Amino acid sequence: MAVDTAPAVTAPAPSHQSSNPTPRWRSREALTAWLFILPSLIGFLIFTAGPVVAAGVISLLNWNLFSSPTWAGLHNFARLGPDPTFWSALGNTAYFTLVSVPLTIAVSLALALLLNHGVRRIAIFRSLLLLPYATITVAVAFVWIWLYIPHDGLVNAVLGWFGINGPTWLISDNWAMPALIQMSVWKSFGFGMVVFLAGLQAIPQQLYEAGRVDGTSPWNSFRHITLPMLSPALFFVIVTSVIGSFQVFDQALIMTNGGPGTRTTTLVMYIYRTGFENYDQGYAAAQSLVLFAFIVVITAGQFLFQRRLVHYDN
Amino acid sequence: MSTKLSRRSFLELTGLAGLGLAAAGTVAGCSSGPPSGSATWSMWSSSPAEKKVWDDFGKYVEQQLKVKSVATLTPSPSYPTKLDLQLVSGTASLVTALNGTLIPTYAARGAHRPLDDLIAADPDFKLDDFYDTSRRISSFNGKTYAIGFDVAPTVMYYNKDLLKQQGIALPSRTEPMSWATFRDLCKQLTKPGQQYGFTCAPAIDDLVSWIYCAGGNVMSDDGGRSTLGDPESMEALQYVIDLFVKDKVTPPIKNLVTESSLSNFMQGNVAFMQNGPWQVVNARKAKFDWDIIPFPAGSAGSKPRVSGSSFAIPSGVRDGAELDLAWKLIKALTSTGALDIYAKAGRNNPARLSAGTAFQPPPDNLGIVQDILAGKLAGGHAFDVTTNWNQVKQLLGQDLPRTFLGQVTVPEAINGLTPRLDILMRQHLDTVRQATARKG
Repeated sequence: MAVDTAPAVTAPAPSHQSSNPTPRWRSREALTAWLFILPSLIGFLIFTAGPVVAAGVISLLNWNLFSSPTWAGLHNFARLGPDPTFWSALGNTAYFTLVSVPLTIAVSLALALLLNHGVRRIAIFRSLLLLPYATITVAVAFVWIWLYIPHDGLVNAVLGWFGINGPTWLISDNWAMPALIQMSVWKSFGFGMVVFLAGLQAIPQQLYEAGRVDGTSPWNSFRHITLPMLSPALFFVIVTSVIGSFQVFDQALIMTNGGPGTRTTTLVMYIYRTGFENYDQGYAAAQSLVLFAFIVVITAGQFLFQRRLVHYDN
Repeated sequence: MSTKLSRRSFLELTGLAGLGLAAAGTVAGCSSGPPSGSATWSMWSSSPAEKKVWDDFGKYVEQQLKVKSVATLTPSPSYPTKLDLQLVSGTASLVTALNGTLIPTYAARGAHRPLDDLIAADPDFKLDDFYDTSRRISSFNGKTYAIGFDVAPTVMYYNKDLLKQQGIALPSRTEPMSWATFRDLCKQLTKPGQQYGFTCAPAIDDLVSWIYCAGGNVMSDDGGRSTLGDPESMEALQYVIDLFVKDKVTPPIKNLVTESSLSNFMQGNVAFMQNGPWQVVNARKAKFDWDIIPFPAGSAGSKPRVSGSSFAIPSGVRDGAELDLAWKLIKALTSTGALDIYAKAGRNNPARLSAGTAFQPPPDNLGIVQDILAGKLAGGHAFDVTTNWNQVKQLLGQDLPRTFLGQVTVPEAINGLTPRLDILMRQHLDTVRQATARKG
């Protein structure tokens, strides 16, 4: 009968809860935590969440910055379809992401593995390899402009030693984007390397010792111990690198200004120009929301994927 | 005596200190602006020498107006963005400097106010002491929106030493040479890999001078359609691109962003450089003898681009005492005394006729700048721009530089650009119509 099958009386709550009716979120620990989070939370609300909401509103307006805005509805989103520069910029950004992220991760991981295996004075090498990441992009970009000079730049000079007639790099239709990618990989591998190195050093040595006892080859040891144990760090680096590469701007602006043609015009550069050079704030906001949506979808996809591939200790 | 601080007390104290700091910051932020009644003005400045000129301007303003002068100086590349943000946030100075190419952009959007009422009400102010071209550049839709402080035509710089070394007679100081002669000279003076005949920037700013000389333009008279595909414009474009791609009389382009005709010329191995008198101050550092001559004449004569900069008053300046001070300030900044300071420092040719004598040699032939502006010699063409010139320039900046690299031909580039340019021109006409309607 229903009465017989009904669950028994609910288990009594732990005695400390019944004796202290204060909700958990109002406990002293929780308030202390909120106090510590508050400065960051205020900054997030004012400088991140606020502008995202504002962009949502502005994307529905025609606004040239100086005159009063007028209602545009979804017109700014409709303009995206027939705009060839938008699609070109989106394609360039995707190209940059698809090539630069795997390359950066491969270089970072290789260097981290190298440093983790018997390199003496590891701190010196780690600091040296981190220097490109710690240097201001603008300064690095100017150095790379000189390196890429077609006729007497260092890159083509080195290629010349091997009998290779180097391309015209930053002014070439086909090589301008690879040149930017190469520079970006050099600039950013240091961050991934440090994260990977920390991850590698946290892997318990007993696992490798157990592997050795079982006769595991170095490759299998890397595949079945290092990679799974490093997967949280790998996931973190992939997510941050993808987000960062979708927002690529400064190196393209300085080194090529988006050219030749629109070959290196990235989405963020196009958004900046639309909003602040062409005074078309509504359209720029619509573009930035589309970029935001892309990043959200891709990051959500990565989080779904990580459930199967990322292994945590627990 | 030691007191034990509990965690709770510590957090309370930290919170209070944080609130105190935030309050102090807010108060300091609110009171960090210039004192009320100051003569505030904005200007671009990218070098210590330039900054000194503006500091001297500030002292001159204080002498004339007996109020504190507060100049906001910003490096040239970031000046427009900073100005935009100040205009939008209502924190712009009483007077802001504007590059002539952007005056229609700001005026059409209502960012700056027309000055005609102020000019009409001030019998002391003589607008006819300014070059016609400066007045044209400073106007939009039949109204004066700014008062010029410099104006100048593009000229041709040449390396006298290089011509003498090659045994080539120096060109006429007053008669513009023909394009055919210019091309022959450039070819004669070029030794591939060592020495070059000519340098200019691979951009529309430099191309327009050739286009005007051939009788063409970027846009039709009403600004409603692109005329780059017209035979005159195409002739000019092809001529310049041939100098780069076919005749190879120019130094190889290393990078489209950083390519600088001045740095090429200063190397001492380039015979001719297209540039404005605003580079005289930098060219004076050259370690060779050089001078300037009128721009080569095409089928329509020597009519290079004439460009300039001006001061304007933002629309946000309130009527009454604030506007009175803004007008006095703009008059002081564009007065003969102030422009004398500017011209004596060699920055550029002043926009006022009465300040002209302060712009002195070297180079020997500097006087042609004012003769050209006065119509006594060769000629010039005001830089025609649209109310969306940034967009037009951006579009042209995408595809035109590829012709200099030989990646696309001139007809291919222009055919690809024209439909998009025409859309921008139509948008420009719409903006003009809206601005006209707003005026009532």
